[in-house]
Amino acid sequence: MMDNQQDKLPLLKSWKQWYAVVIGFLILLIIAFYLLTKTFS
Amino acid sequence: MTVIDWIVIVATLLSIVVYGLYKSRTTKNLEGYFLSNRNMPWYLVLLSIMGTQASAITFLSAPGQAYSDGMRFVQYYFGLPIAMVVICITFVPIYNRLKVYTAYEYLENRFDIKTRTLTSFLFLLQRGLSTGISIYAPSIILSSLFGWDILWTNIVMGGLLIIYTVSGGARAVAYTQKLQLIIIFIAMFLAGYTVVHLLPSSVSFVDALSVSGKMGKMNIITSGVTEKGFNWNDRYNIWSGVIGGFFLALSYFGTDQSQVGRYLTAQNNRESKLGLLMNGLVKIPMQFFILSIGVLVFAFYQFNHSPISFNSALVAEANTSQYKDSVQLLQHGFDSINQIKSAKTISFIQAEKEKNIAHQNALSADLKLLNQQTEAYRTKFKEIGKKVSDKDTNDTNYVFLSFVKDYLPIGLKGLLIAIIFLAAWGSIAAALNSLASSTMIDFHKRFSARESSLSEYHTSKLYTLVWGIFCILIAQFAHRLGNSLIETVNILGSLFYGVILGIFLVAFYLKNVKGTATFIAALIVEVFVVFLFFNEQISFLKFLPDISFLWLNAIGALGVMLVSLCIQPMIKQKNRRAEALLSPSYSK
Repeated sequence: MMDNQQDKLPLLKSWKQWYAVVIGFLILLIIAFYLLTKTFS
Repeated sequence: MTVIDWIVIVATLLSIVVYGLYKSRTTKNLEGYFLSNRNMPWYLVLLSIMGTQASAITFLSAPGQAYSDGMRFVQYYFGLPIAMVVICITFVPIYNRLKVYTAYEYLENRFDIKTRTLTSFLFLLQRGLSTGISIYAPSIILSSLFGWDILWTNIVMGGLLIIYTVSGGARAVAYTQKLQLIIIFIAMFLAGYTVVHLLPSSVSFVDALSVSGKMGKMNIITSGVTEKGFNWNDRYNIWSGVIGGFFLALSYFGTDQSQVGRYLTAQNNRESKLGLLMNGLVKIPMQFFILSIGVLVFAFYQFNHSPISFNSALVAEANTSQYKDSVQLLQHGFDSINQIKSAKTISFIQAEKEKNIAHQNALSADLKLLNQQTEAYRTKFKEIGKKVSDKDTNDTNYVFLSFVKDYLPIGLKGLLIAIIFLAAWGSIAAALNSLASSTMIDFHKRFSARESSLSEYHTSKLYTLVWGIFCILIAQFAHRLGNSLIETVNILGSLFYGVILGIFLVAFYLKNVKGTATFIAALIVEVFVVFLFFNEQISFLKFLPDISFLWLNAIGALGVMLVSLCIQPMIKQKNRRAEALLSPSYSK
């Protein structure tokens, strides 16, 4: 029971999806920062 | 400073101490004191991780960094989310499965006692010194700007938090960090709003960014490539940020007990991982926000009079020195250029609104030239400053607080000063807790006779107190040695981090490599990293490339892995020979 509770993840189905979200968000941030750099320079 | 500002400061600081004492109830054993009985939810783990990493100097230095060097400092954090993922996959499950109290306990399990003790000792040495400096660094800025006595500033900066850290251990540290971060973010948001509000009425937030951008402050992404190729000595670019920053974050979050101790307080694997992954999501936007305030402050000073140095105590000292005539001449020239700059900036905004590109480009070129001229005046003043005083001539860390002192309204000024103390307390409290846990678990408990749980609990409290006093003494000692010590200790930290990480990476990923090979590899690579850093000072090492300190983490970590892989077969061969010599068949 305890293990099942521990395995349940909020919002996403697996840890792999969580890792993909974190890395994906980093890539999005870098792209957004690149566009900001271009816009304001 | 008005009475209201003082009331805000005292009330904020006392409320944190009282709240910390209120949250001090914990089980009187080591697990209760150091790991809060491993019952923390992910959001408290997240806030504790963030509160530990963000020290006072983060909130003082980052806006100043953006003011002087632009937004590119944010790239320093690009490796952090990747490191969070690797730590969740590798480090967290092992630490939680073995139910360790410190990261270094695992090294004895995997290698031997000598590797564990060496790594723990290096941690204590480095963290003890750097915590002392993290008390001194904001204290010297506050005492310089407000004329406070450095001893008492050090005592408040590093002393009051000892009350609740000794009393409540990891639980009190985590709960106070939560409250501290909430207050810090509210205050920083108000500060950012006030900067925009203080801009001329015709200048919007986007206009401010546009002016700063034209002056090169919106350089968020930089490649580090120059006409001569890639500059390895360039500190902040996308490559050093992603690669060097990854190894630095992996080392800091995966092997530094001040961080490992935070996510070991989590209820289970899931809560530890969620806390770390959320940190990977919010850290970069948070730093971006803090740096943006620095860029807005830069824009503000394009329309308003900026001081020739943001370290006002240095300016006062220079004005009463034998160089006072030269200083006044510099001041006069600097003020004249500032006036022209202010008028040209208003015209630039106007040209931008009218979409008059030719006029806009001409004004942009003029503004760049004027900024170069003001920088030249500031450099000349720094040269005089070095001759007349031992005070810090590099005023980057003074920019934000100087702005707070001169322009923020009553009450908010007090709150902003209070958050400098709160940010310092968050990181220092976690450091004291981790220093005490390493001393207790890796040395006291490991090498002395068994004690009762209650006795261990009281000894742990004593160690926390002793480390607290030690760090304040270091802060006081640092004052006598001058400002260069801050830089020296920061560099010393980066010299050791890579090698410590390398030891852990060998432990996790190179199963065939044993303790002795790792130990020897760590010593060899440590010497190489030190030589690499000091290559310019040592004549016979000048052939080595001149590289930024961020790369040393990667070199140290990968170096230990490679060298240990090479040494392990030699040790195996040597052992086989020794076994053959001692075997009965050989004796016959």
